[in-house]
Amino acid sequence: MVTRSVVRPRLSSFRLTNGLRVLLAPIDSSPTASVWVWYRVGSKNEYPGITGASHWVEHMLFEGSPRYPKGAIDKAVVQVGGELNAFTDTDFTAYFTTVPREHLSIPLDIESDRMTRALLTDREVERERTVIHSEREGNENWPEFRVEEEVYSLAFRIHPYRWDALGRREDIERLTPEELRTYYRKYYGTRNAVLVIAGGFDRASIAREVRRRFGRLPATGADVRVGPTEPAARGERRAELSGPGTTPYLQMAWRAPALDDPATPATMILDTILGGESRLFSAGAGWGRSAEHPSARLYRALVDTALAVRAGSEWRPRVYPGLFTVQALAVKGISLDRLEDAVDSVTERLGRTGPTHRELDDARVRIRHGAALAYEGASRTGFRLGYFSVLRSPQYEDEIFHRLLRVTRVQVRDRARALFRAESRVVVRYTPTVEAPDA
Amino acid sequence: MRETNDPLRLETGEGPSGLRVVRQAPPVGSVSFAATYVGPAGWGFDTTGGEGTARILGQLVTSGAGSRDRLELARFLDRMGATLTTQVDPESAEISVWGPSEVWETLLGVLADTVLRPRYTESDLARVRRQLAERQMRELVQPGSRVDRELLRALFPEGHPYRGTGIGDARSVARIRRDQIDRFHAEHFTGDGAVVVVTGRPPKSTVTRVVKRLFSNLPTDRAPSLSIPTVRLPRRREVRVDLPGRSQVEVRLGGVSLSRGDPQYAAAYLANEVLGGAVLLSRLFHRVRSRGGLAYHASSHLEAMRQGGYWSAQAGTGADRWRKVVPMLREEIERLSSESIPGDELRIMRESRIGEMALSLESTSEAHELAVDAAYHELPADHWKQWPSLLRALTPREVRAAAETALDARSSVTALAGPIGSA
Repeated sequence: MVTRSVVRPRLSSFRLTNGLRVLLAPIDSSPTASVWVWYRVGSKNEYPGITGASHWVEHMLFEGSPRYPKGAIDKAVVQVGGELNAFTDTDFTAYFTTVPREHLSIPLDIESDRMTRALLTDREVERERTVIHSEREGNENWPEFRVEEEVYSLAFRIHPYRWDALGRREDIERLTPEELRTYYRKYYGTRNAVLVIAGGFDRASIAREVRRRFGRLPATGADVRVGPTEPAARGERRAELSGPGTTPYLQMAWRAPALDDPATPATMILDTILGGESRLFSAGAGWGRSAEHPSARLYRALVDTALAVRAGSEWRPRVYPGLFTVQALAVKGISLDRLEDAVDSVTERLGRTGPTHRELDDARVRIRHGAALAYEGASRTGFRLGYFSVLRSPQYEDEIFHRLLRVTRVQVRDRARALFRAESRVVVRYTPTVEAPDA
Repeated sequence: MRETNDPLRLETGEGPSGLRVVRQAPPVGSVSFAATYVGPAGWGFDTTGGEGTARILGQLVTSGAGSRDRLELARFLDRMGATLTTQVDPESAEISVWGPSEVWETLLGVLADTVLRPRYTESDLARVRRQLAERQMRELVQPGSRVDRELLRALFPEGHPYRGTGIGDARSVARIRRDQIDRFHAEHFTGDGAVVVVTGRPPKSTVTRVVKRLFSNLPTDRAPSLSIPTVRLPRRREVRVDLPGRSQVEVRLGGVSLSRGDPQYAAAYLANEVLGGAVLLSRLFHRVRSRGGLAYHASSHLEAMRQGGYWSAQAGTGADRWRKVVPMLREEIERLSSESIPGDELRIMRESRIGEMALSLESTSEAHELAVDAAYHELPADHWKQWPSLLRALTPREVRAAAETALDARSSVTALAGPIGSA
């Protein structure tokens, strides 16, 4: 019943002479076509003073280019029933447009125009400044955002993973239109992008159209490696935050391997056993992780025991070593100390005895199901192909899938021992300033 | 009648005890299966003093079912690659299962167990109470949740099912006993008034036969009916909640609106899309974000249920900007009723909404949402097939008239929550 390999549409890829990598995944039956452009630029490319530049440029790519003046991109796509959006992370910025299949030329025209010719006028940059502020303010209303931002700023002292992709408030206030234009010119272009097209189309004719539209673009854009390597932590780092909220909230983090590290498969299994699923291969109709995993260790140790109302773990695939985090929101009246002790006891036990045979087997089955169902629909196909391409390569999905299925109990136990070391731990505790009134 | 492979054309069968069965063909190429039970078990049926019962039950039904306790059920679903979710609304409760096509019959069995034989312990009940308690607190301290709560409380009178979010309060949730929950389950998870919607490869005849077998123990009682107090249109007013220490003010401007079955629904739907429903193409987004640069999100929402509904325009903005944003929302809403929508704008919006139906057929889960909506509201089997012609037949005059009654700014309430100070 469960798959032995990742199930996805047949893929063809080629590279244009200007460096643009193109992936085509036709799905004959699909009523839609989804176009994704992934740039290898994200907050990893920023430095203090220009944090948030990647995200701001992402916004500006909807605000005008020669063929698509302000508002025209949204209109061109939405008026045919399409949807579009973009997102910025530490390692990449992605733009997607899904349209009824007969309108595939629209997103191709848009992307080929704004890849190198977005205007970023002074006026529009200034107008967008408050929008960016507003987006950040909306996130700041959530204690979880404040805590996560603090966790990363404590865990990383040199590496750009230190700041959130939204950027620091002061930098959003300060960044100039010229700096954003310079940033755009440096990182955007054919040499630093992957174009993914999935859905209902004819492979040969779309390949021709891609060559015609994108082949004439100059070879620009650079994938710049991040210079500084984060030195090993020499002791635990802690912070206590307070502010509006419901009940105490805790996040603990440890240094975790990058996607291509040999230790990654065991880390992903660890994530599945602790939190209930792995980010890359999770069952479910959507892309997100579902909220409740009663069979996960953290849930059983914290939620079932009336210490937390929710608890989970997360390892995110990244180009450079990142973090493995555990989060828990306390039940009213439960102290952060008790919550922290409970998490320690779960991680310590996993490092001592490893997972049970059943847990490991369950984790493998879940991953196999995730691999079987992840490619339903053009949009999800475009997302997954681009995601793996920009972090490593589309083929890497198969590689990591097979490595995941070979992970042993001993490897997971050893990984837990190596990961959950107190001297490399970051702990951020959030205490609500005013205990929320009973509703 | 021939069975169809068109996901936009639903097929209806008869299940046991008055239960309706609706089958939808999956989109071509899909590999998953989805099924949903929708029954008259919304929080509108909570008794006075028992507020929170429907929500608690909604969470408990996934805590174990049939012969499986919570852990066994979770593992069983995980090992099939399936998910089980619930959603409780004022009028109804939905339980949905999703997973690989090959195990569709097993998945339907899990759904039937969940509906007919939920299994939970006292500790499950205690856990759900704790989770609901946190949710109640969040509704008070989180600007987005708080402003929604204030808007609904201002629009609907005491005892109205749309007035709250069904989570009760600390006292009511603490008081709810197991026997009350069991009684609620027995009375509200019925065949009559309920529907099972299936999106999958098996033909209607097979689906109906399997549903009949699996749901054969459904109570034969008549479905309870929801009593809806009369709503008097609110006086135009403003509710402000100062929540210091937050970064953003959440703004809502909303009013009472029509039901899903109202003859004006399609025109009101289109009017709302123009206002802020079709976010990127909408007037609110254009005015507040694109032109004004005043907020990250600005949109509107029309919630049309069986017995009535409400609408709201919304935005999140800084403490120094909400005074500019509120009049903009109001002006745009008023303009919708006072001026006809230009033909070109209306045409673009209409074709956009028709075009997006292709996106609803990308996967089983997306197509399933269309089927559940049509089935629950007892719309014709070819409703989604006819939807494009229904929208194309609407005139600017009809859309404006619908906006006047369904998105009426004259009797609207403005609600604000966030760091607004004592202004």
